[in-house]
Formats: sequence, C-alpha cells, structure tokens
Amino acid sequence: MPTSSHSNPEPVRDDADATPPSTGPLQQAGPSLSNQPSAPEAIGPTMAPRTPPAAQQAVATGLDVDGATRASALSNIQYVVDLADSVVCIADDLHERILQEIASYNGRTMPDTQKALMRALTDDELLLRQYAHALYADAATFVVHDLAAPQHRLMALTTEAAEKIRRIRVISEVTGLVGGILSLVGSIARGQFSQVGAALEKIQGHNAALKTLKPGLLAKT
Amino acid sequence: MARRVLVLVGLLVAGCASTGQVSLGEVREFADASARLGGYAELSRRYRDTYERELPYLSPQAERVARDTDTRRRAVFDDFVAIQKTLVLYMQTLSLLAGDGRYDLSGRIDDLAGGLNAMTDSELKQRHVAAYAGMTRLLTRVITSRYQNRSVDTMVRDGNADVQTLIDAMIVLTRIYEKANESEQKTVLGVFNAEIPMTNRNADRMLVTLAKVHLQNKTAEYKLIDRRYKLAQQGLTKVALGHQKMRENMDQLSSAETRHMLAGYVSDLNLIRNALSGE
Repeated sequence: MPTSSHSNPEPVRDDADATPPSTGPLQQAGPSLSNQPSAPEAIGPTMAPRTPPAAQQAVATGLDVDGATRASALSNIQYVVDLADSVVCIADDLHERILQEIASYNGRTMPDTQKALMRALTDDELLLRQYAHALYADAATFVVHDLAAPQHRLMALTTEAAEKIRRIRVISEVTGLVGGILSLVGSIARGQFSQVGAALEKIQGHNAALKTLKPGLLAKT
Repeated sequence: MARRVLVLVGLLVAGCASTGQVSLGEVREFADASARLGGYAELSRRYRDTYERELPYLSPQAERVARDTDTRRRAVFDDFVAIQKTLVLYMQTLSLLAGDGRYDLSGRIDDLAGGLNAMTDSELKQRHVAAYAGMTRLLTRVITSRYQNRSVDTMVRDGNADVQTLIDAMIVLTRIYEKANESEQKTVLGVFNAEIPMTNRNADRMLVTLAKVHLQNKTAEYKLIDRRYKLAQQGLTKVALGHQKMRENMDQLSSAETRHMLAGYVSDLNLIRNALSGE
C-alpha cells in the first residue's frame, strides 16, 4: 500500500520550516569566503547594517516564515523556476570568469595563492548551483511560498549582479559580491525571507563599492 | 514507412470488424501507444537520484545544501510517479473499453487507493490533486462496473479535463527535471574545466589524462540524456493533443479524417517511444 511510503504527511514543509536561523546561509557563506583576500569585504560591514530598511519592510509585509501570516501559496511556479534560472546564470558567469582568469595565465604557472582563490570561487559556484537545485526542487513540489515583492526586486538585482560579474576586471573583487549573492540566494532557498533584505543591502553595497573602483589589471605576480 | 502501412492495414481491419458501429480501433491504438510511451518514469528516477551522482564533486558546504534538497526530492518522488501511473491506468482502461480486453485491471484498483499525500499548500497543487482524485474516481467506477456497454466517449468526455491537467503537471515536472539535469551537468563538468588547465602538466600527466578521459565520458553521457527530456516532453504533448482531439471529434470518430488524425498521433508516439528506447 502506498500509505507506508507516506508516513510523514508533510515532509517537504517540515523540512523547509525546520531550518533554525542559527544555521542560516549568512553564517554559512562566511567560512568559504573568510580565507579569501577581498577588498570589498572590508567595505561590507559599513554598507550592511544589522536591520536594514528592506528587511524591516519584508517582515512588515508578512513575508517572513515565522507565524501564520506567511504569504499565500505561490500562484505561478514559473516565478520560482525563473529565479532558479537566474541563479544558474550567475553561476555560469562566475564559471566563465574563473576560466578566463585561468586562461589569462596562458601556460604560465599560476601561483598557489591564486589557485586557492580559483578553487574557493569554484566552490562558491557549486554552492550557487546547489541553491538553484533547491529552488528547482521547490518548484517541482509546488511548496514554495509567495516571494512576491522581494522576488521582483531580486530578479532585477540578480540580472545586475550577473552583469557585474561579467565586467569586473579584478577577480578578487568578485569574491565579496559572490558572498553577498550566496547569502541572498541561500536565504531565499531556505525560506528565510527576513534575511533577504540584509543580503540585498549587502550586494547593493558591494555594487556601489565596485563602481568607485577603477578597473585594474588582473592580480598577477 | 512500413510502420505507417501496417497502421493503415490495422485501421482497415478494425474498421471492418466494427460492423457499422463507431470504429474504435484507432482509439485503442492511441490509448495503447499513450500507455506505453515511457520516458517520464525513468527521468523522474534520474531526478530523484541527482544527489548520488553529484556527491563526488561537491564541497562539504555544497554537500549540506544538496543533502537537504535530496531529502525533499525523495519525499515527493512517489507522488510524481503516482501521477504517471494513473495516466497509464487511464489509457489502459480506455484501450480495454475500446478493444477486446487485453488488460486485467482488477488488481490495479489498489494502486488508486493511495492518493497524493506529499503535495501540500498551493493553488497549483490543488488543481492537480483534484484532477488526480477525479481520475481515480472515474477509473474505479469504470473498472468495477464493467462499463463495457457504456461508450468510450463517456470515458473520454469525463476524463479529458483531468487527463489534460495531469499531463500538464508531468510536462512541467519534466521541464524542471531537465533544468536540474543541466545544473548537474555544469557541476560535474565545470569542476574539470577549471581544474585541468590549472594542473601542472608535467608533474601530473597521468592525473590530467585520467581527468580528460573522465570528462570525455561524462560529456558523452550528458549529451545522450539531454535528448530524452525533449523526447519525453514531445511525447506527453502528443498524448495531450491526441486526447483533446479525440474529445473534440467524439461524434465523428468513424470519419476517415478523425481516424487518419488519430493514426498520425499513434505513429508519432511510436516513433518517440522508439527513440526513447534507443533506436
């Protein structure tokens, strides 16, 4: 009888809701980036206050996972798929950027520190892809809850971020931006909408910081 | 070409046997071809097992996210397959009604008892679950009441909306499987695309060679599997269209035009099935 395989009546929801905030992606994104030299990281804290207006707004509009006010079910799973697609796009751009950097050595031996940076960025790329997987799984199981306003802002922002990744000249500058994106996508994938605002602020901060930097030459030794 | 001729001969024979009644040979052929289509179940399993294939390539951090997703994929797998089983059972039942009883369906009633459990909380899901429940009710009624004397068109009329909805769900899922597969492919191949050029060729010659061979094999594997998603989607679309057309032309099933049209769908479905089984 099929009942035996359905002993847990709502496994997907349980799973999505069970994630404690303490293991959130903001914390998770930290370790992979902490060992990387990154100028924008230093700018980060000043640009991302603990409770940015966007986060407060997200909570105020009932988009947080906590409580019964969680917004109604997503009416169109295509939104989720589009979101996952845009995460894939960012991962693709990051991948291209990594390959470009490697190719720029053109047969010369890459210093170990630079190799380590490439590997750390590759890890970030794979992590992004896992978040895309998580979103696809959500779309497939029709359990994603309404992302509404954050989702629209997010789509615009991810497009912008992808564009940035393509254009950034100094590879180490990508790190901070990718860290922000990871936090953002992780928050969405885990339904922790209260953290979306903070993550958005962080990315915007990085973007602003990057605009002020003059495109430099690739960091080679 | 030969297959098309065979189908036409089959249609002529079926037409003669129906002695002036509405000819149901094409309906049976269509239902049989739809029931045998394949692709979806295999791709559902492949989607369910994504984590196992990706595991060797993942960093600990990515692995944690992946494991989480794996649990969620597995939780709903039975439901994904239940949708297809129901559709297959519907088509087999339709074939039985339209033909000479080649299926014993009494044992299959148990399959219908489960219902969809894991899908919760969404508008879309409500529609699909309602369609599933509606289909279950219809099939139970048909199978238990020996409704051979009731006409095929009652079943097609009553079932069409739910058939369309279930197939729609299957197509949406197959598209998502396809995207997940793309993402998996980039994970697997991407690692090598970055690592191979970074490796010191003189020092690690054997390693680089092995990696290149592995990359080659994996690239070929994904190229093969890529095709199957499109084929499965095409097949499902054909089944949906064929059933819709059948529903629209129920009053004129014996017309040459309708029969020709249904034969066309049968031929397409067989081609797709052959392509899926590697011919």
